Amino acid sequence: MDMSDKQLSDMTPSKTATVQEKWIKLAITAGVVVLIALLPLLLTSPYMLHIFILTFIYTIAAVSLRTILTSGQFPLGHGAFMGIGAYSSAMIAKWLGWSPWLTIPVAALVTMGIGMLIGYPFARLRTLYYAMGSLFFGMGIIYIFYAGGSLTGGYSGLTGIPPLLPIGTSKVPYYYLFLGLALVSLLALYRFEFSRIGINLKAIAQSHLVASSVGINEGWYRILAVGVGCFFVGLAGAGYAHYTTVLSGNNFSFMATLWLVMYVLIGGKDSFAGPIIGTFILVLIPEFFRDLKIYTPFISAAILLIVVFIMPQGLVSLPKLVRSWFTEHRKGRRITHAS
Amino acid sequence: MELIVATVTNFLILSSMYILVALGFAFLFNMLRILNLAHGAIYMVGGYIGLAFIMILGFNQWIALLLTTLIIAAFGIFLEKFSFRPFVGDFNRIVMVCVAIAVVLQTAVNIIAGSKTLALPPFVEGVFRAGTFSVSYERMVTFAVGAALLGLAIWFVNRTRWGQQMQAIAQDIEGAYLQGINVRRISALASFIGCGLAAVAGCLMGAYLRLGPYMGDLMLIKALILVILAGVGSVSGILVTGLVLGALDAALPVLVPGAGSDAITVGIVVVLLLIRPQGFFGYEIEM
Repeated sequence: MDMSDKQLSDMTPSKTATVQEKWIKLAITAGVVVLIALLPLLLTSPYMLHIFILTFIYTIAAVSLRTILTSGQFPLGHGAFMGIGAYSSAMIAKWLGWSPWLTIPVAALVTMGIGMLIGYPFARLRTLYYAMGSLFFGMGIIYIFYAGGSLTGGYSGLTGIPPLLPIGTSKVPYYYLFLGLALVSLLALYRFEFSRIGINLKAIAQSHLVASSVGINEGWYRILAVGVGCFFVGLAGAGYAHYTTVLSGNNFSFMATLWLVMYVLIGGKDSFAGPIIGTFILVLIPEFFRDLKIYTPFISAAILLIVVFIMPQGLVSLPKLVRSWFTEHRKGRRITHAS
Repeated sequence: MELIVATVTNFLILSSMYILVALGFAFLFNMLRILNLAHGAIYMVGGYIGLAFIMILGFNQWIALLLTTLIIAAFGIFLEKFSFRPFVGDFNRIVMVCVAIAVVLQTAVNIIAGSKTLALPPFVEGVFRAGTFSVSYERMVTFAVGAALLGLAIWFVNRTRWGQQMQAIAQDIEGAYLQGINVRRISALASFIGCGLAAVAGCLMGAYLRLGPYMGDLMLIKALILVILAGVGSVSGILVTGLVLGALDAALPVLVPGAGSDAITVGIVVVLLLIRPQGFFGYEIEM
């Protein structure tokens, strides 16, 4: 769909350049990870650590949403799947007394199962119709949370969820726990995207007719993409439930889904790093303006508008954009010299 | 008896309001495939501007309704020119722009008016009584205004030159260009009418129920349900889906308490969508 000739020519530079670029990217990634891992030494305020922990959770959710996007579907109910993970883990832990360490993977599997069951009938919906179908389904899930009575806490929300670590633990262990969870999930999703399955998914996104003509089972791969995306979003949701110990259906409503979509789109949906950058920008930058209190949503809206009007490919295209400004400038000068 | 009368009036009012908002949404969606996720916020702002005219400036309700409609409609032209037109055909950026607009509008209202729920004063006082059942004039007027505007909108789309040009653009935008239709002017007009209808619905619902900064989210989803189930390019289909959804929303809460009725409604919608993804009256589009 997006692979024009221009992009193809971009993809075939000399081999040494790509190897070099790969090492630079790897070095930057490792540097950022080390920096984030050392951050608790500098940041002592529990509030900032809390914000970072939430950022890690939302990063998993945003990247898993992009996994579904790579198959050409546009899910608008992903927040509700996060809710399924959160509520199933919280309810099993609270009402059956299981340990949170056990319920989190179980909840992720439950979310994956529900996602794949729903993915089966939804595989026949495409583009806009899939987006709308998943939106309505997500709304239905939220209403079920509200209607659940004492089992789900209803409108007032579910409280008293067993925490992951003993009560009174500081934020630092949680920080490293969720950093580790995020790293493992991102690594898994990265491997998935560049595996044979991920490449098939991209082929389906470009043209489902061509993909099925070369023997790719479109419906099954779409269900698989939804299943993998739901597994990791369920994991994120379950972690969220046992970290905050309080849940409300509002946390997973349509607006929450839209913000997840914004994290992906603002970073750039064509790149794996896009949703990660987008989540960090959209969660952390408004936090710097926390003193503005009620006005902070304006900051998020401003970031959105800046990206929409200046960077059509999202924030990941910023270095390329800056480079192209410089080269165009230089070229222009050369032309004037020549003439 | 009392319950039946209340349910029926509820059904008529909800249906007419849903259809008003959805029609406004459909004008832009059918023509330019713009998924205006800010439509709910525009509907909400309409209610608050009407409230400001009545409460702060002390205008007559009907004049306030008219002025609000004109202001929001003019805002619609502005929106179409600066935030929709540059991104026609780019679904992702349209979604981002609309979310940004919705966030700005909701935050502004939240700052100015606070998150406490307010209500517009009723447009007409008094209760109509006939034998055992009674209906407030307010509800009858709400329904009458809604129905009149609906009739007007349908007449406009089917019988006037501009409306037919809109239909031509919805069917084939390149063909419309070749026929000499001024697509820019017509899409600005569509945005003008769409936002105006949303503002009227916002004022009427603000008097019928209450106002809140986030009331638009729910209405947006109702409008999406109506438009998608009706199918792209169908105006009369929106009437049918609006009546069905209004009936469900009015009747189900009587039978099932709480959020369960909403869950059932949305479940029915999902099943209908799976049965006929392209909608019951329109045609399928690729985006």
